[in-house]
Amino acid sequence: MSAPPGGPRPPGIPEAVLRRSLPPGARWDAVLGDLHEEYLGRVARTGALRAGLWYWREALATAGRYRLDRGSDMEHRPTGLGKERGGGAGMDLVIQNVRYAVRRMGKAPFFTLVAVLSLALGIGANTAIFSLVNAVLLQDVPLERPEELVNIHSRSPDFRWGTVSFPDYRDLEERARDVFVGVSIMELGLVQVDRDDGSVDPVLAEGVSGNYFSLAGLDPALGRLLQAEDHVEPGAHPVVVLGHQYWSTQFEGDPEVVGRSMRLSGREYTVVGVAPEAYPGTLRGLEPALYLPIYMLDLAQGQEPSYERRGNQSGFIRARLHPGVGIPQMEAALERVARELQAEYPGEWAPDKVFAYIPTADVIMYPDIDRIMVPAAGMLMVVVGLVLLIACANLASFLLARAADRRKEIAVRLAMGARRGTLVGQLLTETVLLSTLGGAGGILLSVWALRVLQGADLPLPIPITLDLSLNGTVLTFSVLVSVAAGIFFGLAPAIQGTNPAVAPTLRDESAGGGRARGGALRSALVVAQVAVSVVLLVGAGLFVRSLQASQELDPGFGNEPVAMLQLVAPAPDYSGDEAVLYFRQLAERVAALPGIETVSLVDNPHLDQLNTQFTGVVVDGVPPPEGRDFHTVDWAVAEPGYLELVGIPLVAGRDFLPSDGPDAEPVVIVSQAFADRFFPGQDALGRTFTTRQRTVRVVGVARDAKVRSLTEDPRPFLYAPLAQFPTNLAWLLAGTRGPADPHVLSLVREARDLDPSVIVYNMKTMEEHLASRLLGRELGAQVIGAFALLAMLLASIGLYGVVSYSVARRTREVGIRLSLGAETGAVVWMLTRGGMRLVALGAGIGLAVSGLLAQFLSRFLFGVPALDPVTFVGVPLLLGAVALLAAWIPAMRAARVNPVGALRAE
Amino acid sequence: MGGDGYLGEFEQMLLLAALHLGEEAYGAALGQELEARVGRRVSRGAIYVTLDRLEAKGLIRSAMSAPRAERGGRPRRIVSVTPEGVAQLQASREALVTLWDGLEVLEG
Repeated sequence: MSAPPGGPRPPGIPEAVLRRSLPPGARWDAVLGDLHEEYLGRVARTGALRAGLWYWREALATAGRYRLDRGSDMEHRPTGLGKERGGGAGMDLVIQNVRYAVRRMGKAPFFTLVAVLSLALGIGANTAIFSLVNAVLLQDVPLERPEELVNIHSRSPDFRWGTVSFPDYRDLEERARDVFVGVSIMELGLVQVDRDDGSVDPVLAEGVSGNYFSLAGLDPALGRLLQAEDHVEPGAHPVVVLGHQYWSTQFEGDPEVVGRSMRLSGREYTVVGVAPEAYPGTLRGLEPALYLPIYMLDLAQGQEPSYERRGNQSGFIRARLHPGVGIPQMEAALERVARELQAEYPGEWAPDKVFAYIPTADVIMYPDIDRIMVPAAGMLMVVVGLVLLIACANLASFLLARAADRRKEIAVRLAMGARRGTLVGQLLTETVLLSTLGGAGGILLSVWALRVLQGADLPLPIPITLDLSLNGTVLTFSVLVSVAAGIFFGLAPAIQGTNPAVAPTLRDESAGGGRARGGALRSALVVAQVAVSVVLLVGAGLFVRSLQASQELDPGFGNEPVAMLQLVAPAPDYSGDEAVLYFRQLAERVAALPGIETVSLVDNPHLDQLNTQFTGVVVDGVPPPEGRDFHTVDWAVAEPGYLELVGIPLVAGRDFLPSDGPDAEPVVIVSQAFADRFFPGQDALGRTFTTRQRTVRVVGVARDAKVRSLTEDPRPFLYAPLAQFPTNLAWLLAGTRGPADPHVLSLVREARDLDPSVIVYNMKTMEEHLASRLLGRELGAQVIGAFALLAMLLASIGLYGVVSYSVARRTREVGIRLSLGAETGAVVWMLTRGGMRLVALGAGIGLAVSGLLAQFLSRFLFGVPALDPVTFVGVPLLLGAVALLAAWIPAMRAARVNPVGALRAE
Repeated sequence: MGGDGYLGEFEQMLLLAALHLGEEAYGAALGQELEARVGRRVSRGAIYVTLDRLEAKGLIRSAMSAPRAERGGRPRRIVSVTPEGVAQLQASREALVTLWDGLEVLEG
């Protein structure tokens, strides 16, 4: 990754090819130098991709010219080249074989194109997906003795893998010294970096304890990492370690960066070091730009220090076991500490709350996410593997057909004394050449695909950083796959084709009858291709249907265009009440902007993937769950007008009013599900209950809207007025006339105008906010759908090849039938029928297999049964139609031939 | 393609570009100069092969510069047109001008 001085380097492969093609000496070094220099210029002007393509083309073309030159007119060469030719007879043979193969391929350009393109698509898909999986799952994290490291979570009925509060972390570290060498904590935050030009840049930061890096055994790439002395008291350690990627991109890998200072939320921090390159942060895919002492994180985020709040659970805990300490011993220690905490802090530690652990090495990103991600990645690998299989089947089919065509030629050459090894060598060369071309095409395709992938503007709540470059592993993988495919599928036809059972072949062929021996194998390949395509299409169909079903789900809000801006009015400059004042001033200014219709504020909009917030609720007569003193309910703090703005109607009572101020009676609006849960069969209006140590009165009941996920059952929800429950963090929502998109930036501008120190966390439109909820399903449907269509296309190409080949061999028969008065239609059907029989067989097998596999998919599906009739009927129909076309075209062409000509041709 | 006869079109273009560039006439600069002035893509391979040929005919000379960092530590091959090269260019031009005589109507 780290670029050597002198900037980017031209692509290595063509450079190496060119270097090897040029004679040694400074004169030809200059050729490499020219291309190198021009490449750099082009990178600057047209970008690395176009420059790279240019370099490939020019380097290979130049190499080609020199190689040709070397073979022919030597007299133009000023320096002696004679000894260069001494590559030995083996090399000459290879070159001769390659030339022969190129000539043969040129004679069947269509078939060659199909074979190469099939392979390129198959290999391209595999390389791209393998790069993705490699970036997500397989990249090694340089942790020291990872087998001793465990991640510790809190577990309760609400969260299987919950995070841990800072005081709990401290207690755990102190009380479990018998099993842990040390315990470290990390909290995520978005921190505002003040740039020199006055603009600000919100970046992801990890706030870490002083032992975080040493416990993991990480070494700095530069300077030092954070240590114990950076972790003494809140607010006292303004130092920062840069993430490696952030350092390379924002500081251009400046080696002098250590000791410089940078401003975070208006305060100077000293850069003390750079994190190691291979370390992706605590959560893979979320590489932080900065690592701060955890005692600085609240300040850097403009928040009131909250380290002592046991209820604020947002720490990710990693601990290292003493050597020799076993899992049972650790489990006992965790249980002991949890019991102590339950006894000491019953408010935060209900009897059903415990510590849970998972070995660090077993975690990729986060246990709950891994549960989805790992099978999804596995499935993706299987899908592209199947696509490659279909592509290889096309190559094999192509080679079998070629071998059958050449049996006569080969038989003659064998009869005339050609060595079998030579012939096999020639056939293999052709195969390997095909697969190499396919592999090269595949690499280009995957580079393009990864570029698209990386450039894709996905509506993710946080920017995901993955290193999606093609790395050595991936390159090796795809080259191996393509060469192996070539040898594997080339060897069988080559050996079969050169089988010295000469005489019968010659006789067979001259008689013009007889099926090629490869025929049965090719038919089997088509059946397999169709079956695999059906499986992929069914999978894709199920995903698309599932996406449709979830798109039809009504979130219950957000149908109108709304621009959204998430802000933090930083403490300690702002108290909660001052923050409210600021938010209201801003709302007034925004309301005056052209195109804005309504403005309101909320701290926790529905379906926010990054924020789930609860409040404890005590309702007379409704006993809390076993072992708890209160019910936990999702809640939000909002300004008057919020519900109307997002389109959640009140079914009873009233909205908040400006008069619901800090000194008025605390009021709330509850959702329908809340009313049903806590006041069943009664009128909720006017009832009171306790939350946040206050007695609140229900003044309104709102219709239910989806809170955490689109597929959930109605979930109780509580709205409280911002004026009575002030907060420093809020979303400003502006209902717009027409699309919200163009207004988002003007909201940012207004917010900064009013106070530049305010932190902008997030900005988006309601449309984007809702889209991110469906992103997983959408991506799933699109990716699998694309691969399934690719598979069907490849299988159809294979079928087309088989049918046209068998048709070509039956030209004579067709001629006879036509001249005896057969109807064209009947002949076409006769020719098509054979192909369609293969398709029917393949589709039957495919459907049966799909029926079994669909059961495994069901956990990814929503709103469709695993054996969805639409999918299981639609797929064979679609495939049948495409296959019919693929078989019909060559049959039709054959039936149009002039019967006399066809007979004469033999 | 012996040494006599007239220069090919591409040979002429390369020699002229080299004269324009003077001290700065090396492969990459020649390619860019040609592409800029003539407005069509020029294969780098063609340039090197033609340069070799021109040198073999004695129409250009080359000299190696010191290695340079922006070229991956490689030298430049600076070419200069020999008096023989200039003479051949003039001969080619005269031949063309003579042939164009009387065909001025065709000129843009």
